[in-house]
Amino acid sequence: MPGVFDRLNKEIESKQKDGGITALDLADLSPALRKIMKIMLRELQMTYPRLCEVMDAMPEGERLTRNLLDDALSTLTQQFWLIRIGEKEKAIYKVNLKRKTGSTLAAGIWSSLDEKLKK
Amino acid sequence: MNKGKIVSIHSFRGGTGKSNTTANLAAQVALAGKRVGVVDTDIQSPGIHVLFGLDETKMGKTINDFLHGTATIREIGFPIGENTGGAEGRAKLAGKNLWLFPSSIRGREISQILREGVDFNKLNEGLQTTISEFDLDYLFIDTHPGLNEETLLSIATSDILIIILRPDNQDLQGTSVTVDIARSLDVPHLMLMVNKALPKYDFAQIKKEIEAKFSAPVSGVLPLTFDLADNASNDLFSLRYPDHEWSKSLRGVADAILAVK
Repeated sequence: MPGVFDRLNKEIESKQKDGGITALDLADLSPALRKIMKIMLRELQMTYPRLCEVMDAMPEGERLTRNLLDDALSTLTQQFWLIRIGEKEKAIYKVNLKRKTGSTLAAGIWSSLDEKLKK
Repeated sequence: MNKGKIVSIHSFRGGTGKSNTTANLAAQVALAGKRVGVVDTDIQSPGIHVLFGLDETKMGKTINDFLHGTATIREIGFPIGENTGGAEGRAKLAGKNLWLFPSSIRGREISQILREGVDFNKLNEGLQTTISEFDLDYLFIDTHPGLNEETLLSIATSDILIIILRPDNQDLQGTSVTVDIARSLDVPHLMLMVNKALPKYDFAQIKKEIEAKFSAPVSGVLPLTFDLADNASNDLFSLRYPDHEWSKSLRGVADAILAVK
């Protein structure tokens, strides 16, 4: 029987299929949004309290106030660049990167190539 | 937070010696006693495995298998320290903590990636999990030349970015683009490395001019040498010929990486 973790993971994976951010988009974000996204890229998934801890551990000049952090998280989740499961203190955030689309070459080209590579 | 550092090695143009440099830097850092991983994210044209003595017959699971969900990161890591092969230079890595995470060199698997695209959530999960699963101090990423999406992801997630360029106007212009992007992605430590500099040049002058042009440190200027070409990727040059000028300069770059706190 699937546990809570499996269920949450399935929910996250299903939401990740929608949209997402590209690495190049990161360059256009405001410094505050980019800071959060870069932390999330390294951590993959974080709870809200853990994100607050990481923020509090930063040097004073780099730290975001709680209000700024909350606003930034709200913007990032609205854009589907972060996925949020749960609410407020119990929220879990996960980064959502846009999938690289495959080649748009006609399908016949790939099947011919596959046939040649089988030989 | 993950403690291991991600070191991306990039060049705007091909043929700068990126894979050779990545493999040798990773080996030097492993020789210094660090736990090191090397990931080949050049999925379209992988090559770094050759420098570590791997071919299709020895290669097990690959990054491609991980991306397709048929292998875990643990299954992909190939322990170089336990499989140094017969090469004299690589033999010095015996017992060292160095793992290679290769990309597939099977034509069908490369074409499958090109056809189906890449799940970047999965790729990023792989990169970050590699550090935690293998308790790495450093993860070196060998990137595809130019700016594609895999490369941008590795730049965005790097602690240290080393951009390799030759003293050539095409490389200089391309490097400007990469430096701009790295800065806009807030890469914490950006370094340049000049490779294939003609020995007749004044290397100190090259370093000075390039540092002034890009406002970034040049961690080494390495000479163009037939000796390296003659090695033909059969061995790790800096381990086999440690007293060669190329190897000495490369160790300077490795020291610069190790000095980053």
